[in-house]
Formats: sequence, C-alpha cells, structure tokens
Amino acid sequence: MNDRAIRLLRGESVDRTPLFPFILGFCAKNGGYPIASIYDDPERSFELQSTTHEQYGFDWGPIYGYASYGTWEFGGEVRMPTGEYEQAPFHTRFPVELEEDVERLTLPDPKQAGCLPLAMEFSRLQEKQGTPISIVCGGTFTIAGNICSVEKLCRWMLKKPNLVHKIMALASDHIVDVVRHWSTAFGAERVIPQMWEPLTANSIISSRQFEVFVLPYLKETSEKILAMGVKHMLYHICGDQARNLPLWSQIPMGEPGLCSFGQEIDLYNAIDLLGSRNVIIGNIDPKAFLAGTPDVVYNLCREAIEKGRSAPRGFMVSSGCEIPPEAPRQHVYQMHKAIVDCAKESGGL
Amino acid sequence: MDSTEAGTEILRGLAEAVVAYDEEKTVELARMSLKQGIDPGVAILKGLAFGMDQVGKLYETQEYFVPELLLCADAMNAALDVLKPHIKVEAQAERHSVVIGTVEGDIHEIGKNLVKIMYEAAGWTVYDLGADVKAASFSEEQKRTGAEVVAMSCLMTTSMLAIPEVIKAIKANDPDITVMVGGAPLNRELAMAYGADGYAESCGSAVKETLTALNRVKGAT
Ligand code: B12
Repeated sequence: MNDRAIRLLRGESVDRTPLFPFILGFCAKNGGYPIASIYDDPERSFELQSTTHEQYGFDWGPIYGYASYGTWEFGGEVRMPTGEYEQAPFHTRFPVELEEDVERLTLPDPKQAGCLPLAMEFSRLQEKQGTPISIVCGGTFTIAGNICSVEKLCRWMLKKPNLVHKIMALASDHIVDVVRHWSTAFGAERVIPQMWEPLTANSIISSRQFEVFVLPYLKETSEKILAMGVKHMLYHICGDQARNLPLWSQIPMGEPGLCSFGQEIDLYNAIDLLGSRNVIIGNIDPKAFLAGTPDVVYNLCREAIEKGRSAPRGFMVSSGCEIPPEAPRQHVYQMHKAIVDCAKESGGL
Repeated sequence: MDSTEAGTEILRGLAEAVVAYDEEKTVELARMSLKQGIDPGVAILKGLAFGMDQVGKLYETQEYFVPELLLCADAMNAALDVLKPHIKVEAQAERHSVVIGTVEGDIHEIGKNLVKIMYEAAGWTVYDLGADVKAASFSEEQKRTGAEVVAMSCLMTTSMLAIPEVIKAIKANDPDITVMVGGAPLNRELAMAYGADGYAESCGSAVKETLTALNRVKGAT
C-alpha cells in the first residue's frame, strides 16, 4: 500500500497522478470469484481489491459500498449480485411503500442495520492495513430514493413535499449516525466517508429541485460530519449534474474535500466550480472500458490528466462510475500506463 | 358556442391539463367529453396524447424533469381510466401492443418507465415486466400476450450484454416480432449490431422510432 493519494490530500507533491479506484466487481472476476463476494464477504473483498489494485496500479485502497445503500438499513431488502449480468446489490423490497409507512420509519442502529456490520468488518481491515477508512454511506437523496423508490420520491416532491423532507431528514441523521459510529471506532480524523449521489442527476431532477430538496440536507450533514473532526469527505456526483454544480460548490466537503464526477461532466467546469476547495476525481467513461479499445481508454486518461493539471487542490484519475466487471484487462491497465507516461514526460518519474 | 367549438375547447383543455399535471381537471374534462359525445379515441389522441407529446418535448428541453413527467402521466392515466371503457371494441383490436422491461441484472427503471408512459400516451397496450427481467421472461410474455413489439431498456454495460441473447430467443420464436432497445450505454449502431429493429435515444422519440421499425419489419415479410 502506498500513500500517494493521502499525500495529495495533504497538499504534498506526488510523483505521478494518483489512480483512484472505482472498481469492485472487476476485482472479483479478476480473482476468479463471484461478484457477490465483494459485498457479502469483507475479508475476501478486501483481499480481491488489494491484489487487483496492486496489479493495475491503483492508489488509495479497497472500499466497501454500493449505490443502492439505504434500502436494507431502513428495513427493506436487497439481493446480492449472483446472476451472470449483475453488477451490484439491488433492492427487492423498499421499506416505504405507502404514505403511512413514512410515519413508521425509524433511524437504523448503525451497529446492526443492513450491511453496516459487514462494512464495519471491512473497515477493521482498512485500519489494520493502514488504508483510508472509507466506506459508502450515502448520499442523502439517493438513500431517500432507496427508501421509497425514486419515482415515489419524485411524485411526492411535487405533491407531498413534507414527506420528502421527512425522509431526507431521516437519511441525513442516519448518515451522521454512521459516521459518528465509525469515528468512535477509528478516530474521526481517519474516517473518509463516501457519498454517492446518482439520484440527483439532472436527467431526473432539476437544479431548482436540488436546491429545495437536497442542498440544505447535504450542507447540514457535511457540516455535522466535519464538526466531528472528519477531515475529508468524498462526494461522487454521478451522471449529468452540470446544472447542479454551482449548488454543489456550496457544500463543504473538508479541507480539502474530494469530489468525483461522471463522464457527463466537463472536468474544466468541475475544476472551475469545485476545484478551489476539493481534489477533483474523474471521469473516464465506463462504457469506454467495454466498448472502446486500449487506445481509446489510454487517450481518455491522458486527456483527463491534462485537464486535471489546472486543479488547484490536485487531481486523481478515476472512472466516471464503476468500471464494468467485464472490461478487458488490457483496457483497465491503460489507466496506469497513461498516468506513468504522462509523469515521465513531465519529469515526475 | 356550437358543439364542435365546445369539442375543440375540451380537447385543448385535456391537453393543457395533462401538461399542467392537473389530474382533477383531466378527469372532469374526460367525463365532459363523453357527455358531449366526443369519440373517446379522439379525446385520447387529440387531447391526452397531444398533451403528453408536449410534455415529452418539455422534458427534452429540460424544462420538465422526471417528477413533472410522472405527474403528467398520472393525470393522463386517470383520464384514460374514464375514457377506456367507452372505446369501441373494433377500435381496441387495432391497438398496438408492446412488452417492456429492464434487462436482467439491472434495476435502473426510470427511463424504461418514461418510455412506457409514451407508449400509453400513444394508445398502446403495454405489458410491463418491471426491472431485472430474465431473458426467457421477455419471450414468454410476448408469446402469452401476442404483442407485436418487445422493448428493452438497459443502463449498464454489464446488463447490456444480455440483450443479444434475448433478441435471439424472441426472433427464433417469431422473426416478425419488432424489437426496440434503449438506455444510456447503447447507441443506434450497437442496437443494430445486437440484432434490434429499432432504437431511440429518448422517450420523446420512442413511439415514432417504434412505428418506423414496425413498418420496416412488417414490410419485409
Ligand atoms: C439513477 C441512477 C441509479 C439509481 C437507479 C434508480 C432506479 N430505480 O432506476 C441507483 C442508485 C439504484 C443506481 C444504482 C447503480 N448504478 Co446507476 N445510475 C443512475 C444514473 C445517475 C441516472 C439513470 C437515470 O435514471 N436517468 C434518467 C432516465 C430518464 O434516463 P435513461 O435511463 O437514460 O432513459 C432515457 C433514454 O435512455 C431512453 N430509454 C431508456 N430505456 C429505453 C428503452 C427503449 C426501448 C427505448 C426506445 C428508449 C429507452 O428514454 C429514456 C427517457 O428519455 C446513471 C447515469 C447515466 N448517465 O445514465 C447511473 C448509471 C446508469 N449507473 C451506473 C452504475 C455503475 C450503477 C451501480 C452498478 C453502482 C454500484 N456499484 O452500486 C448500481 C447498479 C444497481 C443495479 N444492480 O442495477 C453507471 C453504469 C456504468 C456502466 N457499467 O455502464 C451509470 C451509467 C453511471 C455512470 N456515470 O457511468 N443508479
């Protein structure tokens, strides 16, 4: 394990652009195990990610989490990915089906609810191996959608806004509870929570809706978490959120924060709006790993590194979302290759 | 106001109420249209579907987002419930039909549901299998319902790999079934390479693209 990414966070110089991992199912396949083992077997998951990271030059360290987070923790059900075409856990029953169910929602116990015991086991390995203690426990709006389904959430935004505010408040409190639990276990300064927020994509909600229903909660959650002594938080701004970016820039994410983007976002725009306070991470199109050629991936990475040079708090290469588990290995390898080539050309290595 | 003028007024009102996602209004106007003797087929096509078409355009130009679109669809569906029982049986037999679902391993279903809404708005009979639909279920449902179109959505490059297999199964059973595909990782080229008959980038063009594909498939046989 190297500490290149952490050095970048501290503002120290690094020999090459760090490669930030957004690669889960691929690690299972790479090691000859089913994808489910990434999510239901912390020890194996850690091992599979570590060895794959080492092989392909990823920095940072293994992480635990998935985008459908919240369903299970609030009392619904998820299924682990077991089928041939499955990539991540997915919800099979939502905790909220009727309006009345919202009244009955209670805050989950972060020690026991859903995947959290597995995540805790995973974080103990992170602690032991000295990698960042970093798990996915949000984002708020995405948890809300995972509690009552996105479509109900969307309808209620216009028809029953109070229900949405209620669910959002619970989701925010839950995230704070989880981070507090982790901080007690490992020390707040070691914890780097990750919030993935695909449901706020502008292909789903407007920036105005983001401003009313999302922004206040994200601000509040972030402030509370940072007040605990957490130094850095990561927000994964998934999908096309160009219209939300000015609002995202109002959310504190730490000193510096970490902000990763989908391929839909222009990195210059991201750096311009969020780069002064956050390390920018992104944003190679996951499709390119599967449908492209080694050259396509290589060139996309070089382009991203080039753009990332102007990021005041630093830049890390990553995929815009999870790298497809079926991606040809040669394609994944191009990320490291492009990074090393760029570093050599500019005298870093 | 003579009766045709009143009729035009009702049709315009229906369209506007759909755009304004005013469910009470669409239901009220649907009832009024029946009282006025307006053919329910016309009320659907020139009122509700016309309104929904506008809604599709507003979504494409990012003036409307998924929340608005869903409520517009609810307003349309509430009025459809009033009108449908009054549609003449022969007219019903002419309706197009489609089996729709998101492919196996994939729970992204917002896009699929928007496409479904557009088929409904155009008067199609829709058999919705939901998300994470096994390959065999598509062709089984098609056989069960006799639908002329199967429409598949996928949002991930992983689940996308299931599509060629599903298409093969459907076509092996009946090569005249029209297969439509859509979703973020696909494009027209890839759709064709997978053996689909049609592709649409967005829900706004889904029905039009389906009709074009349908005519092509039917014309070829
Ligand atoms: C919302 C979202 C989610 C939500 C889904 C909620 C739900 N119930 O639908 C949640 C949070 C659950 C989620 C989970 C995951 N997601 Co996701 N998600 C998204 C996001 C941000 C938006 C998708 C969306 O709803 N768009 C809005 C709708 C309206 O647009 P649309 O779906 O494109 O549909 C339009 C057209 O495509 C077309 N269309 C769609 N279907 C059809 C069908 C036909 C027949 C036709 C004609 C047209 C058509 O019409 C629609 C309307 O105009 C996308 C980003 C993106 N670029 O799409 C990522 C994205 C799809 N997700 C991605 C990933 C990786 C995941 C996870 C694997 C993450 C993880 N590791 O946990 C999981 C997978 C869960 C699973 N097992 O399926 C990646 C997929 C990458 C890849 N491999 O290809 C994407 C592309 C993000 C990215 N930046 O790369 N996600």
